[in-house]
Amino acid sequence: MAKTINIDPVTRIEGHARILLECDDSGTVEEAFFIVNELRGFERILVGMEAHTMPQITARICGVCPTAHHLASAKALDNAAGVEPPPAGKLMRELMYMGHYIHSHALSLYILAGPDLVFGLNGETATQNVVGMVEKDPELTKKGLRIRSLGQKINEVVGGRGIHPVTAIAGGIATKLSDAQYSRLRELTGEAVELVSELVPVTKELLLRLLDENPVLLDKLNVPSWYLGTVNNGKLNVYDGNLRAMDENGEIRAEFATEAYADYLVERAVSRSYAKEVYLDVDNSEHMYRVSTLARMNVVDGMETERAQKEFEEFRSRFGRPCHNAVLQMYCKLVELVYACEKADEIMNNPDLRGESRVAAHFSGGRGVGHVEAPRGVLVHDYQIDEGGIVRGANMIIATQQNTAAINKSLKEGAINLLDGGDDEKMLNGLEFVVRCYDPCLACSTHALGRMEFEVEVTRGGETIRRIRRN
Amino acid sequence: MSSGKIRLNTDWLCDCGGCHVALVDLHEKILNVLESIEILHCPVLTDVKNYPEAEIGILTGSIRTEHDRHAAVEMREKCKTIIAFGTCAVYGGLHGAGLAHSREEIMDHVYRKSPTTRTDTIPDTDVSELAKMVTPVDEVIDVDLYLPGCPPHAHFIFESLKTLIENREPRVTQDSVCGRCTRQMVKGDAAEIKNSLDGVPDETICFLSQGYICLGSATLDRCMSPCPNHGIACTGCAGPTMQILAEPYLDIRSEVSDRMSRLTAIEQDTIKTHMEKTAKTQYAYAMATKMIGNKPTFLIKKWIADVEAG
Repeated sequence: MAKTINIDPVTRIEGHARILLECDDSGTVEEAFFIVNELRGFERILVGMEAHTMPQITARICGVCPTAHHLASAKALDNAAGVEPPPAGKLMRELMYMGHYIHSHALSLYILAGPDLVFGLNGETATQNVVGMVEKDPELTKKGLRIRSLGQKINEVVGGRGIHPVTAIAGGIATKLSDAQYSRLRELTGEAVELVSELVPVTKELLLRLLDENPVLLDKLNVPSWYLGTVNNGKLNVYDGNLRAMDENGEIRAEFATEAYADYLVERAVSRSYAKEVYLDVDNSEHMYRVSTLARMNVVDGMETERAQKEFEEFRSRFGRPCHNAVLQMYCKLVELVYACEKADEIMNNPDLRGESRVAAHFSGGRGVGHVEAPRGVLVHDYQIDEGGIVRGANMIIATQQNTAAINKSLKEGAINLLDGGDDEKMLNGLEFVVRCYDPCLACSTHALGRMEFEVEVTRGGETIRRIRRN
Repeated sequence: MSSGKIRLNTDWLCDCGGCHVALVDLHEKILNVLESIEILHCPVLTDVKNYPEAEIGILTGSIRTEHDRHAAVEMREKCKTIIAFGTCAVYGGLHGAGLAHSREEIMDHVYRKSPTTRTDTIPDTDVSELAKMVTPVDEVIDVDLYLPGCPPHAHFIFESLKTLIENREPRVTQDSVCGRCTRQMVKGDAAEIKNSLDGVPDETICFLSQGYICLGSATLDRCMSPCPNHGIACTGCAGPTMQILAEPYLDIRSEVSDRMSRLTAIEQDTIKTHMEKTAKTQYAYAMATKMIGNKPTFLIKKWIADVEAG
């Protein structure tokens, strides 16, 4: 009789997500499942609401990446109304988004994954948090917190609010920038550019040390897959561009506009999780693929800004193309953090930023599709809107959902190696680390920010054989 | 209280995580708070697994699953003062709109009718069954303090934590979003209701005066009014004002239609009917609370069904 190992993040037992390992009689892991255990049903809830409020409403899908939903939604409305925002409207949206990227990547690097960097993977659990980090490395922690804060404030000045921004509407941004807002943004972006150049060398050193100290994980987390990310003239652009698909050998196999997403992305519901899996349908077969920072670094040919291009070149010469290692998501975030700061600064220097920020938009019935690169990957909003401006249908492809199949595969690889070691604590830390490498934004499908606490249950034929708990 | 600090637990139930990001968003002020508060259980910041005894307990999100219910009860037992934090905890929040639909309808829509889904599978193994309803926290446990907002602005979070640290009675302001809105309320001649995309609203004049529905006058200020001051009409995300909650025959649509009809040339009944037709938008954040749901004239399910029937 096969046995089942069940891992629950304890604070989320019935609520949200857990890990299930299915072993055969010899104890070898046959299948691993990252199970999302919550559904809020937004695609149904949105039907019947007024379309013009979608950017404000859908931001609430996720408090961790609200700006991504806000902008994907506004772009879907532009598309439905058949309008293009004026240059200032587009630039303001991008500026807001760069603020969000700075906030999100810094939160991820310095608060959520920060303890792994500062303490290593097998540090004392009790001190592995941001409070412990302040004591161990006050300089890095304070700068990390500061840059996150700057990003959130940039987002807030342009978006009206940091969490759940409101200003993007069909046709652009509701109001143009005032002089006071502009000079405040100057201060914020200027400081961010300075701070990121101080943060890069020290963060990179910590990342490389982490990789050196954990060769096994590095070796075992090489999961070949396809990748999907957004490019604009071949370069990274997280706000706008075509979707580019690359296979596991690094060949570019498709590049398509947002409107064609349904021809390429296939959702598959699974019986044991509320999150649907997504596959790329290219050349009449379906392929497992990944999105997020690593995927973006793989598909793009280069970066739009100078320092980020330098960091990108260094990354690529170190790790190649395609790079299949999930651990390197953190390194990729650092490259994108540099990009976001530089790009924000570049937008501030663009005279078009101060122009009119919106054009009139009207829904005469039809469909609207929009996408952005959320910090954690491709995010698509697709609405059917009637002549009265009411949403009649809604479909969304969420970033984290697209990585589920790859997370399962990485967990399986990780578990096979870690289970043999016989060290429970090490296995728990290792599996948790595997999940965290993918940085699943579970608020979109559920949520599990921060360090997860695990309980492992080993059962055979429904009977519990042992229970492992990390505390 | 070995450190002499006030102990704080927080936990999130069914929500988007934004309220916990809002705590991190106290920015530099978080360091002031940390001088007086010891954070124990907190899903974003610490690794504490159980619920230790604490003076303050912050609960964000609404109750959806057995897990949520269990966490709320545990927090109540261990914390002296419980704060229902954020609109979801206080009123049920946006996903409370799920109440208008059956579980089967939601599952069918997400797993069968989605244009990109090629399977015909409904998740039913190893997942918990969806709860029928989303409920605000105080329908499960006693709540001492309410701090709505989606999320509440740092100003209100800091104020409330400060009063608790200093052991003072919290000062509860009852202003509506109009209080901090810089637009002028004037009598205008708008004859038709507009949506936010019809024309470009004047930035200095009240949205209602110009014929745009704005929920500011019916919504409690826990946000510092960023929306109307950034060109966007209030969508009511912090929930209704105390006046509306307390009076059975007052309601979001009665309050807004009354005020708007005085400021325009539009009949109150026309506005009221329009708001019923767009009820899913107007009541998006607060429809799951009994404080609204039990009002005798509140027929949300009927209004939504009528619109969906076309």
